[in-house]
Amino acid sequence: MGIKGLNAIVMENAPLAIRKSDIKSFFGRKVAIDASMSLYQFLIAVRQNDGTQLLNDNGETTSHLMGIFYRTLRMIDNGIKPVYVFDGKPPVLKKFELDKRSERRKETELKLAEATDLNEKIKQERRLVKVTKQHNDEAKHLLKLMGIPYVEAPSEAEAQCAELAKAGKVYAAASEDMDTLCYRTPYLLRHLTFSEAKKEPIQELDTEKILQSLDLSIEQFIDLGILLGCDYIESIKGIGPVTALKLIKEHGSLDSIVKYIQENNNNNSSSSSGNSNEGKCKWKIPDNWQYNEARQLFLEPEVIPAKDINLKWLPPDEEGLIKYLCGEKLFNEDRVKNGIQRLRKGLKNGTQVRLDGFFKVVPKTKEELEKANQRAKAQLKKNKITKKRR
Amino acid sequence: MLEAKFAEASLFKRIIDGFKDCVQLVNFQCKEDGIIAQAVDDSRVLLVSLEIGIEAFQEYRCDHPVTLGIDLNSLSKILRCGNNSDTLTLIADDTPDQIILLFEDTSRERIAEYSLKLMEIDADFLKIEELQYDTTLMMPSNEFSKIVRDLSQLTDSLNIVVTKDTIKFAAEGEMGSGSVILKPFVNMDKPNESIKLEMDQAVDLTFGAKYLLDVVKGSSLSDRVGIRLSSEAPALFQFDLSSGFLQFFLAPKFNEEE
Repeated sequence: MGIKGLNAIVMENAPLAIRKSDIKSFFGRKVAIDASMSLYQFLIAVRQNDGTQLLNDNGETTSHLMGIFYRTLRMIDNGIKPVYVFDGKPPVLKKFELDKRSERRKETELKLAEATDLNEKIKQERRLVKVTKQHNDEAKHLLKLMGIPYVEAPSEAEAQCAELAKAGKVYAAASEDMDTLCYRTPYLLRHLTFSEAKKEPIQELDTEKILQSLDLSIEQFIDLGILLGCDYIESIKGIGPVTALKLIKEHGSLDSIVKYIQENNNNNSSSSSGNSNEGKCKWKIPDNWQYNEARQLFLEPEVIPAKDINLKWLPPDEEGLIKYLCGEKLFNEDRVKNGIQRLRKGLKNGTQVRLDGFFKVVPKTKEELEKANQRAKAQLKKNKITKKRR
Repeated sequence: MLEAKFAEASLFKRIIDGFKDCVQLVNFQCKEDGIIAQAVDDSRVLLVSLEIGIEAFQEYRCDHPVTLGIDLNSLSKILRCGNNSDTLTLIADDTPDQIILLFEDTSRERIAEYSLKLMEIDADFLKIEELQYDTTLMMPSNEFSKIVRDLSQLTDSLNIVVTKDTIKFAAEGEMGSGSVILKPFVNMDKPNESIKLEMDQAVDLTFGAKYLLDVVKGSSLSDRVGIRLSSEAPALFQFDLSSGFLQFFLAPKFNEEE
């Protein structure tokens, strides 16, 4: 689930690369959404007041369908054209992370069985939420009826989203996972699929600006991600965000960092005369650490080339939607009908072109950028202080 | 030191009102030869470019270039405090953290002074290159404004089609459709009401109505609006000042290729 601490690093060092704006400002844009992550989010968040899952009369979960249906409508209402991207087979390397997750699930299951308090039960139950194949299939079926395109990624959905955005098929990738940045999507949108009631502005992260502000190449940025702990391999214990960034800046790449750590380890063990030789060797490279392979997964992920993907937004299948949502899943018919109207209306709108393609931004000089960044940081600090005072 | 005096406060007020609804934070760059400003709306579809030349001022002096970062909402509040016939002087020092607005009513010996705190605005500056246009159209700004307002009621996209000797504005919505067709003509008595068309190539373009509604707010600046269209570039809508202009660059909408 994303990269630990990357958010903090970006916030801290590249505040200018994050733009917060209202959903309305994405009017006319196409966006590739990490469907698997969204479904998970819906299963967790779309719930009844008492915190239990939404079920229909047959006892089937409908949270994910509710989520897909209404959050998609919200985007359509705001002139956004979504395409959903589903996860395929996880890369072999990810097995490690997945194993860890299933272990955690077992623990949680135990806790749930022991829990007596209702709140505790709900809390543990939420942790157990898993997107199953059935959830995915139902979501795909619903999208098809709605006329919204979806893509089945061969492997990681985020990587496929980034591929679509890189090729200009869509404007941005939408995911909560920061590692989407490592696939070099031009823009990453976060919080797009949040509920309207949350009033959370959408975060738009500009990858190039982040790299520029951090003064890192994409390879270095990926190395930073791996160092912080991505989904693919274990992280090095004891290296937090600050140290990670410092190490990358000092050594330039993971290869040199690994070499550096190993050398220091060796030196220490050979010359260890029991002396407390201020250990630079406090870190240990995990055994069989496949950082090269992990890096490769970010640099050249397994994706369907964007040119082979044809995105089409079609009119909704009214009859099919009513039969499926109202007949099988027992949604309110009036609401579904209203939704169908909204889908129709949304489809008619053309695609709004951005000005950026026509006018070049006069690039900022390095000093200007630095000054601006510093200002933004100062502002950030100020905000923190005033918050504390309150 | 910047000292820029408008003979009528209403001119500056109309300029600001002309674009304060689509952009909020704007850097005004004051130079020796006048004031320029540029801003893009949040969705990056509409670009506003303002140029106020020296001749538009009664008096103008700027020995040292300064950038004034201004929140237009706040500025327009202050501008509302002045009377239209007042003179208005903008004053700022060389490294300003505020701007002074001085309204003077010479007939009544009344002087009102306001200050506005400036902001550090981090905005990209776009390079506007001379673009090639297929069609240039000059028409009365109130006529254009009415057409846009009327047709926007029907839908959220407006279609503009220019052929050899007709200009057609059209809208199609749920409740119905509408269109307005204009032909170029010359009004000898009232030249301002003439419609002039220069066409190299026919165009058929669609624009978001909400953006056009922002554009027509510039109408109070000038009786005429210049419209330049191209199938390959953003449209340009221009309202001229006695010296300088207010320009809107608007990116079109495209219908999904079938």
